[in-house]
Amino acid sequence: MIVLLAVAAGVSLGLVLQPTVPLDLQPYLPIAVVAALDALFGGVRAWLEAIFDDRVFVVSFVANVLVASLIVYVGDKLGVGGQLSTSIVVVLGIRIFSNAAAIRRRVFRA
Amino acid sequence: MGSVSEPSRSAPTQRAPTQPGLPHPGPAQQRRIDASMSLLVDLSTDALDPGYAAAVARRQAGGPGERARWPLVGATVAAATLVVVIAAVQTRASAPAAARSRSALVAAVDRQTATVDRLERTIASLSAEQAALRDAGLESTTAGAALTRRIADAELALGILPVSGPGLRVTLADAGSGSNASLVQDRQLQSVVNALWAAGAEAIAINGERLTAQSAIRQAGDAILVDFRPLVSPYVVTAIGPPVDIETKFGASDTAARMRGLAQLYGLRFDYSRAGRLALPAAPDATLHYARPVTAPPRRGPS
Repeated sequence: MIVLLAVAAGVSLGLVLQPTVPLDLQPYLPIAVVAALDALFGGVRAWLEAIFDDRVFVVSFVANVLVASLIVYVGDKLGVGGQLSTSIVVVLGIRIFSNAAAIRRRVFRA
Repeated sequence: MGSVSEPSRSAPTQRAPTQPGLPHPGPAQQRRIDASMSLLVDLSTDALDPGYAAAVARRQAGGPGERARWPLVGATVAAATLVVVIAAVQTRASAPAAARSRSALVAAVDRQTATVDRLERTIASLSAEQAALRDAGLESTTAGAALTRRIADAELALGILPVSGPGLRVTLADAGSGSNASLVQDRQLQSVVNALWAAGAEAIAINGERLTAQSAIRQAGDAILVDFRPLVSPYVVTAIGPPVDIETKFGASDTAARMRGLAQLYGLRFDYSRAGRLALPAAPDATLHYARPVTAPPRRGPS
């Protein structure tokens, strides 16, 4: 219930405020999106497997976003920012995919 | 130090395997057959954050019971959703800008093309005016009149005068399907043009682009360029000359035979027919880059 309310709040906040991301933070947006999706899917899977833990969820989300942004930041300084963000998208994308597959197996039993 | 890190290192083995189908390392801890790809395997087997399993283990071990902090979870979910929505909004906001810059570029290209066309028309009318003035100036003397005729012949041969007359019309077109062999290639167009010259054509144009001695027929990607102007299928090659003669010779040429074969094989369109009156435009440009007129008669070699 709270989760659904939070999703609604997030969507409406984003749609109502229409915040513009500063130019300096633009490279980090796709990374943040993938990290956020990864945390959400991981949380849903853990909840379905009845091992959800709020602390792990919150900490893993914040830490993932920060670490991913840090990697991209360092990559930007070294001139390989694009490649590093691709690598993050690939790694987190595989995780999202496996978690989604686990959710699918649990929900549809197939 | 080593004793502190011991529990965390042994934690993965305590965890129940999430994917029962995977091969288990036996008690002897034999080397896994895919050990060199451990990164990829770990990625898919450890998709769920190991922290969840660790928390369960902690709770089962009778660790400190924690109340669920649902507001914190709600805030995190809201933040995650917000990030996704912001990205979507941002993309939507910048999409029209990208489309706008693209359409602005297209408009600029169209405008410049129109300018080039207009300038070419101006050049054509100015050259016509110049030619008329020259002819009027030369008309008065007998030598001048002979010169005028020579100039007219040279201009006809150069292709910088529009011409009309009977001739042959050859049509080539791509086949419907998209494979590369079903498209008309620049080489085929070149050999058709060369066969028409060989069959006695006096002037040739492709889709209204007059060919001169300096014309190039080239391929750039899917488009065929004739003098740097892109043409699209169907390609209509019009050649002025003695119609029956051209048709006979062209029809008997190797090129026509090969094109008939390709047409049968790949479904290209290839046909030709005599035309009573064809009108060919002038070539846009006859600039000589390297050739210089000979001022003195060339010296004869030792006889």
